[in-house]
Amino acid sequence: MTLLSRLGATLPQILWLLPLALLPLVVSSQRRTLVSAIAAAPADALSRTIGWALRLAGIVAIGGLILALSGPYRSGETITRTGIGAQISMLIDRSGSMNETFAGKQPSGAEESKAAASRRLLADFVGSRAHDQFAVTAFSTSPMLVVPMTDRHDAVRAAIAAIDRPGLDYTNVARGLGMALPQFGAGAAQVSRVVLLVSDGAAVIDPKIQGPLRAEFAKIHPNLYWLFLRTKGSPSIYDKPAGEDTPQAAPERHLDLFFKSLGVPYRAFEAEGPEQVAEAIRQIESLERDPIPYTEQRPRRDLTPWAYALAMAGLLVLVAGKLLEADLQGGSRAAAGRTAPDDAADERRLAA
Amino acid sequence: MNRFLTRNFRDRRLQALAAALLLLAMTFVVSTVTLTRNMVDVLAVVDITGSMNVRDYKRPDGTPTSRLETAKAALRDLVTRLPCGSRLALGIFTERRPFLLFTPIEVCRDFSPLDGALDALDWRMAWEGDSRISAGFYRAIEMAAGLGTDLIFISDGHEAPPPPSTGGAGFEGKPGAVRGLIVGAGGYGLSQIPKFDDRGRETGFYGETDVQQENRFGPPPADAESRPGYEPRNAPFGATAAHGTEHLSSVREPYLRKLAGETGLAYAHLEGPGGLFAPVMQAATPRPMPGSFDLRPLLGSAALALLLAVYAVPPLRARLRRRGTPAQRWKKA
Repeated sequence: MTLLSRLGATLPQILWLLPLALLPLVVSSQRRTLVSAIAAAPADALSRTIGWALRLAGIVAIGGLILALSGPYRSGETITRTGIGAQISMLIDRSGSMNETFAGKQPSGAEESKAAASRRLLADFVGSRAHDQFAVTAFSTSPMLVVPMTDRHDAVRAAIAAIDRPGLDYTNVARGLGMALPQFGAGAAQVSRVVLLVSDGAAVIDPKIQGPLRAEFAKIHPNLYWLFLRTKGSPSIYDKPAGEDTPQAAPERHLDLFFKSLGVPYRAFEAEGPEQVAEAIRQIESLERDPIPYTEQRPRRDLTPWAYALAMAGLLVLVAGKLLEADLQGGSRAAAGRTAPDDAADERRLAA
Repeated sequence: MNRFLTRNFRDRRLQALAAALLLLAMTFVVSTVTLTRNMVDVLAVVDITGSMNVRDYKRPDGTPTSRLETAKAALRDLVTRLPCGSRLALGIFTERRPFLLFTPIEVCRDFSPLDGALDALDWRMAWEGDSRISAGFYRAIEMAAGLGTDLIFISDGHEAPPPPSTGGAGFEGKPGAVRGLIVGAGGYGLSQIPKFDDRGRETGFYGETDVQQENRFGPPPADAESRPGYEPRNAPFGATAAHGTEHLSSVREPYLRKLAGETGLAYAHLEGPGGLFAPVMQAATPRPMPGSFDLRPLLGSAALALLLAVYAVPPLRARLRRRGTPAQRWKKA
């Protein structure tokens, strides 16, 4: 029953032609011969068998061809297996400063901008493990969903390839997080979920949004990694400002404090050059080694050759029947009687 | 023995059956042939500025829907129709520049993330409110040239703030270097533009005084002298506030056609949530790629036709003949 339910056709409409396969029951493929009295030749079992065999062959040939034309297949299956990997929602800063180098200058010559470095390193990261799933969200003033959670690594790499294009205005982390978090969707909770924030700055998170964000983090409970691309001379995550210690004065430090207060596994990586970015990505990769269920699509199997083979078998019998055909009245155009060989004579009984 | 074999060989029906058998045998040998098919590589840039929220399209069920939603539906429809191997890159436009979301993605293998990304397009992605379409459009052409793709630029052509009376900056690139299509979104009649607050909730529509009705940078327009209160030094644009319909929106087709004309692109109007395939295939550069063509249905249907003829032709012929002449014996082939 399960086997039957997995059979399908690409063009099922063609199957409406199947009644045509009954044609051999009505008409014979053999020549018609006039016999003055059908009773002249006694009915015999051999003739009858050959007659039915030819009819059946006709049915099989026509039916097989119609079946083949409809494109029969056994549908593929989706098998769920378990591999090593994680669902990773990448949140990438596309603010204008990402196009500067780690030294805070416009890149020149062999220098690499922060965006170009993260593009290169993240592209290597995507696809290094076959079963990771990625979503990409970009943010500056407003968040932009680039690619929803997918295991199609080509598409993710295409999204990452765009991140060193000229960036936009500001760094609005809160709204970006608000869009990156829902990407996990409902699903198996035991899957390792990762939010990877790549940014070169931080911003004050509006106290009004802090509450909803906390609730969202508590619900999804992802592992949070912040890859902070620190520009030379700019404050570190761990620097206490000389003056007042407010979020406005030291947004990086306070974003770090906010992340620490979320109650989710959190790590910040401060990178001051491409090598450190690579090292941070390596560490994240080694930390996320949990099993993840993934689906494998077993391709569907084309049954067309079988249908053609069936039709061919029927056709072979028909051709043989036609080859061995002989007439009661012999080959001459005149109706003079000539006894046909016995085996061929049997087949004449099909006629009329 | 030989005599009846030769006679059998001359039987049309045997010949037909043998031909059918040969065709069937060929399905196992030459199942597919390779031939070149035309794919396209295209960058779609979608205008997500405020005027694209105007609801002047209708869903199939008759409820109104916005230009942006219709443009998204049309792009999603396009992706399902493009031949496999074609690739689509996606960018959004607001302010004065396009923003590339991703480089080209193959439309069949990676259909699901591509479809998801198109579905996720939202006016809330906009980083600034201006809508300087010509500037954004010219830069979209540069972006397409950089990616080596063609361009689909979907916009309603509504510049905000309005361009100066002298017209904006012209196109500096080489017309026709990038091929593609401008798609004009929106109805031909004026409609109200919805207004949203800073939390994204709709709060009404733009009124006449909410938007800039006239661009007063640069030299005044030619008719300025006839305006009330005109004074060459102190009131070169006249002394009264500008009135106009900039707070209402329709598709600015002449403007978009002009942009298309000066850059060598084609123009098409977005009629609904579909219909982009034909104009895109027409405007885009065909990129021949090897594809495979299944010959088996051709061979199989020819064999089926022969086989059916073997059974159906003699009785039909007999019937025809019976109608014409009195009963006659079967003619032996």
